[in-house]
Amino acid sequence: MTPRDDRRPSDPLDLGSLPGQPRRFRDEDDDEETTPVAPAFTGRGRDESEKLDKYLLRRYHLHGDRKAREQLITMYLPLVRSLARRYASRGEHFDDLVQVGAIGLIKAIDRFDLTRGVELTTYATPNIVGEIKRYFRDKGWSVRVPRGLQELNIRLNKVIDELVPKLQRSPTINELAEAASATPEEVLEALETSQAYNSISLQASPNSESGDEDAGLIDYLGGPEAAYETMEDRTTLAPGFAKLDKRERYILHLRFFEGLTQSQIAERVGISQMHVSRLIRRSLEKLREEIGDLDRPEVSRVSGEQ
Amino acid sequence: MRESIRLELPAAVTALPTLRMLLGGLAVRLDFSLEELEDLSLAATELLRAAGDSERLESWSVEMAVVDDQLHVVAGPYRSPDLRHRLEGAADGAACLDLCRLLSSTVDSFAVDDDDEGFSVTMVKGRRRA
Repeated sequence: MTPRDDRRPSDPLDLGSLPGQPRRFRDEDDDEETTPVAPAFTGRGRDESEKLDKYLLRRYHLHGDRKAREQLITMYLPLVRSLARRYASRGEHFDDLVQVGAIGLIKAIDRFDLTRGVELTTYATPNIVGEIKRYFRDKGWSVRVPRGLQELNIRLNKVIDELVPKLQRSPTINELAEAASATPEEVLEALETSQAYNSISLQASPNSESGDEDAGLIDYLGGPEAAYETMEDRTTLAPGFAKLDKRERYILHLRFFEGLTQSQIAERVGISQMHVSRLIRRSLEKLREEIGDLDRPEVSRVSGEQ
Repeated sequence: MRESIRLELPAAVTALPTLRMLLGGLAVRLDFSLEELEDLSLAATELLRAAGDSERLESWSVEMAVVDDQLHVVAGPYRSPDLRHRLEGAADGAACLDLCRLLSSTVDSFAVDDDDEGFSVTMVKGRRRA
Protein backbone atom coordinates (compact mmCIF):
# COMPACT_ATOMS: atom_id res chain seq x y z
CA MET A 1 0.00 0.00 0.00
CA THR A 2 1.32 3.34 -0.97
CA PRO A 3 1.82 5.63 1.97
CA ARG A 4 -1.00 8.10 2.09
CA ASP A 5 -0.34 11.74 1.77
CA ASP A 6 -2.64 13.45 4.12
CA ARG A 7 -1.66 16.92 3.19
CA ARG A 8 -4.62 18.86 2.01
CA PRO A 9 -5.39 22.46 1.26
CA SER A 10 -5.80 24.66 4.22
CA ASP A 11 -8.83 26.17 2.56
CA PRO A 12 -10.94 23.67 0.67
CA LEU A 13 -12.41 26.44 -1.44
CA ASP A 14 -9.03 27.48 -2.71
CA LEU A 15 -8.50 25.55 -5.91
CA GLY A 16 -4.93 26.67 -6.18
CA SER A 17 -4.01 25.05 -2.93
CA LEU A 18 -5.35 21.63 -3.90
CA PRO A 19 -2.83 18.91 -4.62
CA GLY A 20 -1.97 19.02 -8.29
CA GLN A 21 -2.47 15.35 -8.93
CA PRO A 22 -4.89 12.98 -7.32
CA ARG A 23 -3.16 10.34 -5.30
CA ARG A 24 -3.16 6.78 -6.44
CA PHE A 25 -4.07 3.73 -4.51
CA ARG A 26 -3.72 0.00 -4.80
CA ASP A 27 -6.96 -1.74 -5.56
CA GLU A 28 -7.31 -5.02 -3.76
CA ASP A 29 -7.36 -6.95 -7.04
CA ASP A 30 -4.64 -5.05 -8.76
CA ASP A 31 -0.95 -5.66 -8.80
CA GLU A 32 -0.18 -2.08 -9.48
CA GLU A 33 -1.41 1.23 -8.36
CA THR A 34 -4.21 2.04 -10.71
CA THR A 35 -6.72 4.60 -9.73
CA PRO A 36 -6.89 7.71 -7.67
CA VAL A 37 -8.74 7.03 -4.53
CA ALA A 38 -11.76 8.71 -3.09
CA PRO A 39 -11.07 10.70 0.03
CA ALA A 40 -13.16 8.29 2.01
CA PHE A 41 -10.70 5.54 1.14
CA THR A 42 -7.50 7.46 1.66
CA GLY A 43 -7.32 7.57 5.36
CA ARG A 44 -8.20 11.22 5.30
CA GLY A 45 -10.42 12.34 8.05
CA ARG A 46 -14.11 12.16 7.42
CA ASP A 47 -14.45 15.92 7.70
CA GLU A 48 -11.64 16.50 5.25
CA SER A 49 -13.15 14.11 2.75
CA GLU A 50 -16.51 15.78 3.02
CA LYS A 51 -14.96 19.19 2.54
CA LEU A 52 -13.08 18.11 -0.55
CA ASP A 53 -16.22 16.49 -1.98
CA LYS A 54 -18.26 19.61 -1.32
CA TYR A 55 -15.57 21.79 -2.79
CA LEU A 56 -15.45 19.76 -6.00
CA LEU A 57 -19.22 19.50 -6.19
CA ARG A 58 -19.51 23.26 -5.87
CA ARG A 59 -16.88 23.79 -8.50
CA TYR A 60 -18.88 21.58 -10.84
CA HIS A 61 -22.44 22.61 -10.03
CA LEU A 62 -21.93 26.31 -9.47
CA HIS A 63 -19.05 27.05 -11.81
CA GLY A 64 -19.40 24.33 -14.42
CA ASP A 65 -15.91 23.05 -13.70
CA ARG A 66 -15.70 19.84 -15.72
CA LYS A 67 -12.35 18.90 -14.23
CA ALA A 68 -13.87 18.93 -10.77
CA ARG A 69 -16.52 16.51 -12.01
CA GLU A 70 -13.92 14.27 -13.58
CA GLN A 71 -11.90 14.30 -10.38
CA LEU A 72 -14.94 13.24 -8.39
CA ILE A 73 -15.61 10.40 -10.82
CA THR A 74 -12.03 9.27 -10.62
CA MET A 75 -11.93 9.57 -6.86
CA TYR A 76 -15.03 7.47 -6.39
CA LEU A 77 -14.31 4.69 -8.90
CA PRO A 78 -12.89 2.54 -6.08
CA LEU A 79 -16.29 2.74 -4.42
CA VAL A 80 -17.88 1.60 -7.69
CA ARG A 81 -15.42 -1.28 -7.91
CA SER A 82 -16.10 -2.26 -4.36
CA LEU A 83 -19.85 -2.35 -4.94
CA ALA A 84 -19.55 -4.05 -8.33
CA ARG A 85 -17.48 -6.79 -6.77
CA ARG A 86 -20.51 -7.87 -4.73
CA TYR A 87 -22.32 -8.74 -7.95
CA ALA A 88 -19.39 -10.19 -9.87
CA SER A 89 -20.32 -13.78 -9.17
CA ARG A 90 -23.60 -13.56 -11.04
CA GLY A 91 -22.21 -14.35 -14.44
CA GLU A 92 -21.55 -10.85 -15.66
CA HIS A 93 -18.08 -9.53 -16.28
CA PHE A 94 -16.65 -7.46 -13.50
CA ASP A 95 -15.42 -4.71 -15.81
CA ASP A 96 -18.87 -4.33 -17.29
CA LEU A 97 -20.39 -4.08 -13.84
CA VAL A 98 -17.87 -1.40 -12.95
CA GLN A 99 -18.81 0.55 -16.03
CA VAL A 100 -22.50 0.20 -15.27
CA GLY A 101 -21.91 1.22 -11.69
CA ALA A 102 -19.94 4.21 -12.93
CA ILE A 103 -23.08 5.41 -14.67
CA GLY A 104 -24.80 5.42 -11.29
CA LEU A 105 -21.89 7.33 -9.83
CA ILE A 106 -21.97 9.95 -12.54
CA LYS A 107 -25.70 10.36 -12.21
CA ALA A 108 -25.26 10.83 -8.48
CA ILE A 109 -22.61 13.48 -9.02
CA ASP A 110 -24.71 15.27 -11.61
CA ARG A 111 -27.89 15.16 -9.55
CA PHE A 112 -26.31 15.94 -6.23
CA ASP A 113 -28.17 18.68 -4.41
CA LEU A 114 -25.73 20.98 -2.66
CA THR A 115 -28.45 22.38 -0.43
CA ARG A 116 -29.08 19.05 1.23
CA GLY A 117 -26.78 18.00 3.98
CA VAL A 118 -25.97 14.61 2.55
CA GLU A 119 -22.54 13.16 1.90
CA LEU A 120 -21.73 12.21 -1.66
CA THR A 121 -20.85 8.67 -0.55
CA THR A 122 -24.23 8.28 1.06
CA TYR A 123 -26.00 9.61 -1.98
CA ALA A 124 -23.88 7.79 -4.57
CA THR A 125 -23.95 4.30 -3.05
CA PRO A 126 -27.66 3.56 -3.67
CA ASN A 127 -27.37 5.14 -7.11
CA ILE A 128 -24.49 2.86 -8.02
CA VAL A 129 -26.11 -0.25 -6.61
CA GLY A 130 -29.41 0.69 -8.22
CA GLU A 131 -27.77 1.04 -11.61
CA ILE A 132 -26.11 -2.35 -11.29
CA LYS A 133 -29.36 -3.98 -10.20
CA ARG A 134 -31.23 -2.29 -13.02
CA TYR A 135 -28.61 -3.64 -15.38
CA PHE A 136 -29.30 -7.17 -14.24
CA ARG A 137 -33.04 -6.66 -14.24
CA ASP A 138 -33.64 -4.67 -17.42
CA LYS A 139 -30.57 -5.09 -19.52
CA GLY A 140 -29.57 -8.58 -18.56
CA TRP A 141 -31.88 -11.27 -19.74
CA SER A 142 -34.09 -9.43 -22.20
CA VAL A 143 -36.50 -12.34 -22.28
CA ARG A 144 -37.38 -14.64 -19.47
CA VAL A 145 -34.86 -17.46 -19.44
CA PRO A 146 -35.27 -20.45 -17.13
CA ARG A 147 -32.78 -20.46 -14.31
CA GLY A 148 -31.39 -23.82 -15.42
CA LEU A 149 -30.46 -22.41 -18.81
CA GLN A 150 -28.98 -19.29 -17.25
CA GLU A 151 -26.81 -21.47 -15.04
CA LEU A 152 -25.80 -23.67 -17.94
CA ASN A 153 -24.89 -20.57 -19.89
CA ILE A 154 -22.67 -19.39 -17.07
CA ARG A 155 -21.16 -22.87 -16.79
CA LEU A 156 -20.49 -22.90 -20.52
CA ASN A 157 -18.55 -19.67 -20.23
CA LYS A 158 -16.19 -21.36 -17.83
CA VAL A 159 -16.04 -24.59 -19.82
CA ILE A 160 -15.16 -22.73 -23.01
CA ASP A 161 -12.42 -20.82 -21.23
CA GLU A 162 -11.01 -24.12 -20.01
CA LEU A 163 -11.33 -26.03 -23.27
CA VAL A 164 -9.92 -23.46 -25.68
CA PRO A 165 -6.38 -23.50 -24.24
CA LYS A 166 -6.57 -27.22 -23.65
CA LEU A 167 -7.68 -28.09 -27.20
CA GLN A 168 -5.88 -25.16 -28.82
CA ARG A 169 -9.02 -24.53 -30.85
CA SER A 170 -12.66 -23.70 -30.43
CA PRO A 171 -14.52 -26.66 -28.88
CA THR A 172 -17.34 -28.40 -30.69
CA ILE A 173 -20.87 -28.40 -29.36
CA ASN A 174 -20.49 -32.06 -28.50
CA GLU A 175 -17.33 -31.39 -26.53
CA LEU A 176 -19.04 -28.56 -24.69
CA ALA A 177 -21.97 -30.81 -23.89
CA GLU A 178 -19.72 -33.49 -22.48
CA ALA A 179 -17.69 -31.05 -20.42
CA ALA A 180 -20.79 -29.30 -19.08
CA SER A 181 -22.66 -32.55 -18.41
CA ALA A 182 -25.45 -31.51 -20.72
CA THR A 183 -26.91 -32.63 -24.02
CA PRO A 184 -25.95 -30.89 -27.26
CA GLU A 185 -29.53 -29.64 -27.51
CA GLU A 186 -29.28 -28.09 -24.06
CA VAL A 187 -25.98 -26.48 -24.99
CA LEU A 188 -27.49 -24.99 -28.14
CA GLU A 189 -30.44 -23.72 -26.16
CA ALA A 190 -28.20 -22.21 -23.50
CA LEU A 191 -26.03 -20.58 -26.13
CA GLU A 192 -29.11 -19.16 -27.74
CA THR A 193 -30.17 -17.66 -24.44
CA SER A 194 -26.93 -15.71 -24.41
CA GLN A 195 -28.31 -13.92 -27.44
CA ALA A 196 -31.05 -12.70 -25.15
CA TYR A 197 -28.47 -11.45 -22.75
CA ASN A 198 -27.91 -7.84 -23.57
CA SER A 199 -25.34 -5.48 -22.30
CA ILE A 200 -25.80 -1.78 -22.08
CA SER A 201 -23.80 0.41 -24.31
CA LEU A 202 -20.54 1.05 -22.62
CA GLN A 203 -19.88 3.83 -25.03
CA ALA A 204 -23.11 5.61 -24.28
CA SER A 205 -22.39 8.81 -22.54
CA PRO A 206 -23.12 8.48 -18.86
CA ASN A 207 -24.75 11.84 -19.12
CA SER A 208 -26.97 11.03 -22.02
CA GLU A 209 -29.97 12.19 -20.10
CA SER A 210 -28.49 15.60 -19.68
CA GLY A 211 -27.23 15.77 -23.20
CA ASP A 212 -23.64 15.70 -22.15
CA GLU A 213 -21.42 14.60 -24.98
CA ASP A 214 -18.50 13.57 -22.84
CA ALA A 215 -16.36 10.62 -23.67
CA GLY A 216 -17.80 7.22 -22.95
CA LEU A 217 -17.15 5.29 -19.79
CA ILE A 218 -14.41 3.37 -21.47
CA ASP A 219 -12.38 6.54 -21.29
CA TYR A 220 -12.63 6.53 -17.53
CA LEU A 221 -11.47 2.98 -17.18
CA GLY A 222 -8.33 1.02 -17.75
CA GLY A 223 -7.53 -1.60 -20.36
CA PRO A 224 -5.00 -2.47 -23.01
CA GLU A 225 -5.01 1.09 -24.25
CA ALA A 226 -1.77 0.85 -26.17
CA ALA A 227 -3.19 -1.79 -28.49
CA TYR A 228 -6.36 0.19 -28.97
CA GLU A 229 -4.41 3.29 -29.83
CA THR A 230 -2.32 1.42 -32.37
CA MET A 231 -5.53 0.40 -34.07
CA GLU A 232 -6.84 3.90 -33.67
CA ASP A 233 -4.10 5.22 -35.89
CA ARG A 234 -5.36 3.04 -38.66
CA THR A 235 -9.06 3.37 -38.23
CA THR A 236 -11.04 6.32 -39.31
CA LEU A 237 -13.42 7.45 -36.63
CA ALA A 238 -16.25 7.68 -39.11
CA PRO A 239 -19.77 8.09 -37.72
CA GLY A 240 -20.55 4.39 -37.52
CA PHE A 241 -17.39 3.40 -35.75
CA ALA A 242 -17.35 6.51 -33.64
CA LYS A 243 -20.36 5.17 -31.78
CA LEU A 244 -18.34 2.17 -30.67
CA ASP A 245 -15.97 2.29 -27.78
CA LYS A 246 -12.31 1.65 -28.31
CA ARG A 247 -12.50 -1.98 -27.31
CA GLU A 248 -15.41 -2.64 -29.66
CA ARG A 249 -13.65 -0.94 -32.57
CA TYR A 250 -10.53 -2.90 -31.82
CA ILE A 251 -12.40 -6.20 -31.71
CA LEU A 252 -14.26 -5.55 -34.98
CA HIS A 253 -11.00 -4.53 -36.55
CA LEU A 254 -9.30 -7.74 -35.45
CA ARG A 255 -12.22 -9.92 -36.49
CA PHE A 256 -13.17 -8.45 -39.85
CA PHE A 257 -10.02 -6.73 -41.05
CA GLU A 258 -7.23 -8.76 -39.49
CA GLY A 259 -9.08 -12.06 -39.80
CA LEU A 260 -8.51 -13.24 -36.24
CA THR A 261 -10.86 -15.80 -34.74
CA GLN A 262 -12.88 -15.09 -31.65
CA SER A 263 -10.53 -17.22 -29.58
CA GLN A 264 -7.50 -15.39 -30.89
CA ILE A 265 -9.16 -12.07 -30.15
CA ALA A 266 -10.11 -13.27 -26.68
CA GLU A 267 -6.50 -14.13 -25.97
CA ARG A 268 -5.22 -10.85 -27.30
CA VAL A 269 -7.75 -8.66 -25.52
CA GLY A 270 -7.78 -10.70 -22.34
CA ILE A 271 -11.46 -11.57 -22.18
CA SER A 272 -13.39 -14.78 -22.78
CA GLN A 273 -14.37 -16.04 -26.21
CA MET A 274 -18.02 -15.80 -25.24
CA HIS A 275 -17.51 -12.20 -24.29
CA VAL A 276 -15.86 -11.51 -27.64
CA SER A 277 -18.85 -13.08 -29.32
CA ARG A 278 -21.25 -10.89 -27.37
CA LEU A 279 -19.20 -7.78 -28.06
CA ILE A 280 -19.13 -8.48 -31.79
CA ARG A 281 -22.90 -8.94 -31.89
CA ARG A 282 -23.47 -5.87 -29.78
CA SER A 283 -21.08 -3.78 -31.88
CA LEU A 284 -22.81 -4.79 -35.09
CA GLU A 285 -26.12 -3.95 -33.50
CA LYS A 286 -24.85 -0.54 -32.49
CA LEU A 287 -23.51 0.06 -35.98
CA ARG A 288 -26.87 -0.90 -37.38
CA GLU A 289 -28.65 1.49 -35.04
CA GLU A 290 -26.25 4.24 -35.94
CA ILE A 291 -26.11 3.93 -39.70
CA GLY A 292 -29.15 1.87 -40.53
CA ASP A 293 -27.21 -1.03 -41.92
CA LEU A 294 -23.66 -2.16 -42.38
CA ASP A 295 -23.41 -1.12 -45.97
CA ARG A 296 -22.76 2.52 -46.06
CA PRO A 297 -19.10 2.56 -46.98
CA GLU A 298 -18.96 6.28 -46.46
CA VAL A 299 -19.70 5.89 -42.78
CA SER A 300 -18.14 2.59 -41.85
CA ARG A 301 -14.95 2.87 -43.77
CA VAL A 302 -11.62 1.88 -42.41
CA SER A 303 -8.67 3.50 -44.03
CA GLY A 304 -4.97 3.56 -43.87
CA GLU A 305 -3.98 0.08 -42.90
CA GLN A 306 -4.99 -1.72 -46.01
CA MET B 1 -26.01 -37.29 -49.84
CA ARG B 2 -27.87 -34.04 -49.59
CA GLU B 3 -30.25 -33.45 -46.75
CA SER B 4 -32.05 -30.15 -46.52
CA ILE B 5 -34.49 -28.15 -44.45
CA ARG B 6 -36.53 -25.36 -45.97
CA LEU B 7 -37.68 -22.68 -43.63
CA GLU B 8 -40.14 -19.84 -44.06
CA LEU B 9 -39.85 -17.30 -41.26
CA PRO B 10 -41.52 -13.99 -40.48
CA ALA B 11 -39.00 -11.29 -41.36
CA ALA B 12 -38.56 -10.26 -37.75
CA VAL B 13 -35.65 -10.39 -35.34
CA THR B 14 -37.75 -12.50 -33.01
CA ALA B 15 -37.75 -15.28 -35.61
CA LEU B 16 -33.97 -15.50 -35.78
CA PRO B 17 -33.55 -17.81 -32.78
CA THR B 18 -35.47 -20.46 -34.71
CA LEU B 19 -33.02 -20.16 -37.55
CA ARG B 20 -30.03 -20.26 -35.23
CA MET B 21 -31.32 -23.31 -33.38
CA LEU B 22 -31.81 -25.19 -36.62
CA LEU B 23 -28.37 -24.21 -37.83
CA GLY B 24 -27.03 -25.37 -34.49
CA GLY B 25 -28.71 -28.73 -34.81
CA LEU B 26 -27.16 -29.31 -38.21
CA ALA B 27 -23.81 -27.99 -37.01
CA VAL B 28 -23.80 -30.53 -34.19
CA ARG B 29 -24.21 -33.32 -36.69
CA LEU B 30 -21.28 -31.99 -38.67
CA ASP B 31 -19.31 -31.55 -35.44
CA PHE B 32 -18.72 -27.87 -36.10
CA SER B 33 -16.78 -25.92 -33.55
CA LEU B 34 -18.57 -23.27 -31.56
CA GLU B 35 -16.84 -20.55 -33.53
CA GLU B 36 -17.76 -22.11 -36.86
CA LEU B 37 -21.37 -22.25 -35.76
CA GLU B 38 -21.32 -18.69 -34.46
CA ASP B 39 -19.74 -17.43 -37.67
CA LEU B 40 -22.34 -19.14 -39.81
CA SER B 41 -25.17 -17.92 -37.60
CA LEU B 42 -23.82 -14.38 -37.76
CA ALA B 43 -23.52 -14.51 -41.55
CA ALA B 44 -27.02 -15.91 -41.97
CA THR B 45 -28.69 -13.45 -39.65
CA GLU B 46 -26.85 -10.45 -41.11
CA LEU B 47 -27.77 -11.50 -44.63
CA LEU B 48 -31.42 -11.96 -43.72
CA ARG B 49 -31.60 -8.65 -41.91
CA ALA B 50 -29.94 -6.87 -44.83
CA ALA B 51 -32.36 -8.53 -47.22
CA GLY B 52 -35.26 -7.63 -44.98
CA ASP B 53 -34.15 -4.00 -44.94
CA SER B 54 -33.51 -3.81 -48.67
CA GLU B 55 -36.61 -5.55 -49.86
CA ARG B 56 -39.09 -4.75 -47.10
CA LEU B 57 -39.76 -8.45 -46.84
CA GLU B 58 -42.57 -9.90 -44.79
CA SER B 59 -40.95 -13.29 -44.62
CA TRP B 60 -37.55 -14.86 -44.98
CA SER B 61 -37.05 -17.97 -47.03
CA VAL B 62 -34.02 -20.06 -46.15
CA GLU B 63 -32.84 -23.51 -47.10
CA MET B 64 -30.20 -25.26 -45.02
CA ALA B 65 -28.52 -28.28 -46.50
CA VAL B 66 -25.90 -30.73 -45.34
CA VAL B 67 -23.68 -31.53 -48.30
CA ASP B 68 -20.92 -33.95 -47.41
CA ASP B 69 -19.17 -32.26 -44.50
CA GLN B 70 -20.38 -28.78 -45.33
CA LEU B 71 -23.39 -26.76 -44.41
CA HIS B 72 -25.00 -24.78 -47.22
CA VAL B 73 -27.38 -21.96 -46.45
CA VAL B 74 -29.39 -20.62 -49.36
CA ALA B 75 -31.45 -17.48 -48.91
CA GLY B 76 -33.73 -15.82 -51.43
CA PRO B 77 -35.03 -15.16 -53.95
CA TYR B 78 -34.28 -11.46 -53.86
CA ARG B 79 -34.66 -8.74 -56.42
CA SER B 80 -33.21 -5.65 -54.85
CA PRO B 81 -30.31 -4.11 -56.78
CA ASP B 82 -29.36 -2.48 -53.51
CA LEU B 83 -28.88 -5.84 -51.84
CA ARG B 84 -26.92 -7.15 -54.79
CA HIS B 85 -24.71 -4.09 -54.61
CA ARG B 86 -24.15 -4.72 -50.91
CA LEU B 87 -23.14 -8.28 -51.61
CA GLU B 88 -20.63 -7.17 -54.20
CA GLY B 89 -18.85 -4.97 -51.70
CA ALA B 90 -17.26 -1.58 -52.10
CA ALA B 91 -16.69 -0.81 -55.75
CA ASP B 92 -13.48 1.07 -55.11
CA GLY B 93 -12.02 -1.79 -53.13
CA ALA B 94 -11.92 0.30 -50.00
CA ALA B 95 -11.93 -1.48 -46.71
CA CYS B 96 -15.27 -1.02 -45.05
CA LEU B 97 -17.37 -3.20 -42.87
CA ASP B 98 -20.04 -3.94 -45.42
CA LEU B 99 -22.11 -7.06 -45.89
CA CYS B 100 -19.61 -8.42 -48.38
CA ARG B 101 -16.75 -8.19 -45.91
CA LEU B 102 -18.84 -9.56 -43.11
CA LEU B 103 -19.84 -12.64 -45.11
CA SER B 104 -16.34 -13.11 -46.48
CA SER B 105 -14.99 -13.10 -42.93
CA THR B 106 -17.46 -15.59 -41.54
CA VAL B 107 -18.20 -18.24 -44.19
CA ASP B 108 -15.90 -20.23 -46.43
CA SER B 109 -17.58 -18.88 -49.54
CA PHE B 110 -20.72 -17.21 -50.71
CA ALA B 111 -22.19 -16.76 -54.14
CA VAL B 112 -24.98 -14.82 -55.78
CA ASP B 113 -26.93 -17.00 -58.20
CA ASP B 114 -29.41 -15.58 -60.69
CA ASP B 115 -32.64 -17.37 -61.39
CA ASP B 116 -36.04 -16.64 -62.89
CA GLU B 117 -37.28 -14.94 -59.75
CA GLY B 118 -34.24 -12.74 -59.18
CA PHE B 119 -31.21 -14.00 -57.32
CA SER B 120 -30.40 -16.07 -54.29
CA VAL B 121 -27.39 -16.16 -52.02
CA THR B 122 -25.62 -19.39 -51.12
CA MET B 123 -23.26 -19.48 -48.18
CA VAL B 124 -21.02 -22.47 -47.52
CA LYS B 125 -19.35 -23.33 -44.26
CA GLY B 126 -17.32 -26.43 -43.57
CA ARG B 127 -15.49 -27.94 -40.63
CA ARG B 128 -11.95 -26.71 -40.63
CA ARG B 129 -10.03 -28.88 -38.26
CA ALA B 130 -8.61 -32.21 -39.31
